[in-house]
Amino acid sequence: MLVEVDDQLIVLIHAAGHFYALDDVCTHDGGPLSDGPVDAAAATIACPRHGAKFDIKSGAAVTMPATKATIAHEVKVEGDKVFVKLCDS
Amino acid sequence: MSVMLTNTGFTQEAFDAFLAERSEPDWLADLRKNAWSRFDEMSLPTSRDEEWMRTDIRLFKLDKFSLAVESNEVELPRALLAEGVELGGRSVSVDRRSVECQLSEKWSNQGVLFGSLDAIVAEHGDQLRPYFERHLVDPHFDKFSALNAACWSGGSVLFVPKGVQIDEPLHSLSVMSDGGTDLGKTLVILEEGAEATLLAESASTTVDAGGLHCGSIELIVEKGARLRYVNLQNWGNGVWHFAHQMAHVAANANLQWTIGALGSRLAKVNQRVALIGQDAEAQVNGVMFTQGKQHLCYNTHQHHQAEFCQSDLLYKAALQDRSRTVWRGMIQVDEGAQRTNAYQRNDNLMLATTARADSIPGLEIEADDVRCTHGSTSGRVDDQQLFYAMTRGYTRQEAVRMIVSGFFQKVFDRITIESVREALGEAIGRRVRDI
Repeated sequence: MLVEVDDQLIVLIHAAGHFYALDDVCTHDGGPLSDGPVDAAAATIACPRHGAKFDIKSGAAVTMPATKATIAHEVKVEGDKVFVKLCDS
Repeated sequence: MSVMLTNTGFTQEAFDAFLAERSEPDWLADLRKNAWSRFDEMSLPTSRDEEWMRTDIRLFKLDKFSLAVESNEVELPRALLAEGVELGGRSVSVDRRSVECQLSEKWSNQGVLFGSLDAIVAEHGDQLRPYFERHLVDPHFDKFSALNAACWSGGSVLFVPKGVQIDEPLHSLSVMSDGGTDLGKTLVILEEGAEATLLAESASTTVDAGGLHCGSIELIVEKGARLRYVNLQNWGNGVWHFAHQMAHVAANANLQWTIGALGSRLAKVNQRVALIGQDAEAQVNGVMFTQGKQHLCYNTHQHHQAEFCQSDLLYKAALQDRSRTVWRGMIQVDEGAQRTNAYQRNDNLMLATTARADSIPGLEIEADDVRCTHGSTSGRVDDQQLFYAMTRGYTRQEAVRMIVSGFFQKVFDRITIESVREALGEAIGRRVRDI
């Protein structure tokens, strides 16, 4: 799902019992990732424009045409709340 | 009649109150109502629209801004373009209210009109009506053009009658306070054989100010006229900047249009030049410097509609931090526009590996006897150049500044107004950090 954190768009993913947070940006052409399909078994999310896949845990680009990682943010779950700490790098 | 605008947001109620507050001719009110109905029907663009696929405005919330005009007492920012220049006239507006307007008698006696568009349209509406009805900027193009056509206020106008040649630059400054809304419209009309130079700049009251600018610029350069128009966008870092800009250049006329884009959080600008008469010429210069998380998107369009015309566009951008620029350029040549000579070029200097520049030149040619070329370069600062400069005694930061300055020199050389070259050079020099 797409969430706003500190004036920034983050795609929050719930897969295999864990939460992950990535920048909602495909590093290939800057398009949004949040509309793309998540493959929980392979732990990837695909960009809906050209199919580039990113590791949902680290943000690493795992298939072309993306070659650079998108930013992965730290997630903490406390009770029924999910906290996202933005990573600035 | 005077009505206090107390509504917020862009609602029908707010629009009705806005119209009631203005004592404008019926034809203008009708144009506004027509545009408002289009604004009401249209949605904000999304990344699924071809033109917006590289510009994400999902964080932009239109309802956070308002049609209401607030009277804020603000300290005016420094006018960069006018320093050391002997001006023929000066116009200043703050949050869409005109606060100062001067024009030398020498020019007003010759029929030149310059100042707040609100005031001049109220007095000379019939004279300006044909130019409004030409709709250089299409009010139906998107939600932003419709909003500006419906609700413009606080803009400026320059009208130079046939044969009048103004040899002193005119200056207009548009200021917006933090969180404000600027819906300015600029209208410049040079009748046959007229000449003028207009230096226009926009700035926020503080560097970090937010706000919304949804503006339009219409430049009409009639037969044999010569216009030098400079537009410096220097809003605060939180401003959303949406603009539609269009010039019509008639036969034997000449337009030199220089854009400086330094400020704003996100800018999406459509800049179009149409050469509509034989032997018309247009030179377009763009200087952009981005930093932080700024995103500047410029779509340029050189439209050759007549024979023997010449257009020459050069955009240069330097990017640092995580900023991004998008330039999409198009040269369009109509079937009848033979012997066209058109050029477009975009150069990007990447000062950080985390910055990104998208450069997309395009040609659409229907004539068969033309010369149309385009080019684009993107590159980093050469380490060897840095090293060489440092061996000559420069610090690393001085060396970087010198290289950035050299990168922009080619476009500065084309800008014939010294104060503009100095202002842009100084503003960019201040922003460059070590790399």
